[in-house]
Amino acid sequence: MSKDMKFLVVDDFSTMRRIVKNLLHDLGYPNVTEADDGKTALPMLQAGAFDFLISDWNMPGMSGLDLVKAVRSDAKLAKLPVLMLTAEAKREQIIEAAQAGVNGYVIKPFTAETLKEKLDKILGTLAK
Amino acid sequence: MSSFQILKLEYSACVEALTDALRAGDEAAFFAAVDHIVHMREPGMFKELRQLTGDLQKALERFSIESRLQDIAENEIPDARARLTHVINMTDEAAHRTLDLVEQSGPLAERTSQEAAALIESFEKLKDRATGTPNYESVLQSIEGLLPLVKSVEKFLPSARSNSELIRRNLADVLMAQGYQDLTGQIIRSVMKLVEELESALSNLARLSGDVVEHATMGESASKGQGPAVPGVSKGEIASGQTDVDALLSGLGM
Repeated sequence: MSKDMKFLVVDDFSTMRRIVKNLLHDLGYPNVTEADDGKTALPMLQAGAFDFLISDWNMPGMSGLDLVKAVRSDAKLAKLPVLMLTAEAKREQIIEAAQAGVNGYVIKPFTAETLKEKLDKILGTLAK
Repeated sequence: MSSFQILKLEYSACVEALTDALRAGDEAAFFAAVDHIVHMREPGMFKELRQLTGDLQKALERFSIESRLQDIAENEIPDARARLTHVINMTDEAAHRTLDLVEQSGPLAERTSQEAAALIESFEKLKDRATGTPNYESVLQSIEGLLPLVKSVEKFLPSARSNSELIRRNLADVLMAQGYQDLTGQIIRSVMKLVEELESALSNLARLSGDVVEHATMGESASKGQGPAVPGVSKGEIASGQTDVDALLSGLGM
């Protein structure tokens, strides 16, 4: 996967979006766009050629889980790699997210290493 | 005369009329008799209803006074929500300010580290070239103070490089630590949602008793201490900064 991959980071907290954006930048992915909930993110995903989605779960408007479901049921986006980055840590939630079709799940608070590891794992699987 | 005898006296005539109408199959007379009996009973019923309403009002009045229900629902809970919103905004500002500084400082540290590395490399090359030159040291010694200066610069550069790398790593940790704003914000929002539900439940209860109670608001006690000022919530004048505080104190002769 090339370093000019286009990321969409969805989180209702602007501080968290900024943190993730900085981390991606440090990892060599400078092409990052932000959205503050699923409702805003979905049309952006449908319109722009995004290569990767990183989304929070708990957001007003449309939740991250609903966004993942919408992405997976859209033929054009169905294969988009999705990483859930959330404070929701209940077992059944993680299972629900997995069933909805996320490619990875990182629990907040997280470390830069964890994010990198999950990203690499998802991108490695895709490359195969 | 017993109370039953009174009842008998009051009702016997209309009960007879009722029975007669029933026997005669006279529908109009039957309903007229029923209406008459109902009318005889109504005054007592209304008296009981009035009594019941009075009791209910008294109970609600007592409840309201004892629990400060109305004040809590109308003033304190909206205040509490505004305070929590303010906390989210304050942490948001602080986190963004920190991120601003991290974003400004990170590249500086990185540049320092890269420049130190480049200079170290230049020194290495210089030394390599000078290996064959027997008078390298004597050249340096020909100008007073040059040799010790070169030696201390050579010593400084590696630590400048490793220190700025450490600074960069620390800044990355500072960046990650700002995630607290998201996490605390989410917790505060869920508490606010709970408080909001409580507020509407209490308002409904308070409205029931509101008509009968002239409510006495509790004065906020300044001597109790109220924590940081919250715009739109804190009552009375709020000092906007240290200058205001100093001005106020100097006005008081301090």
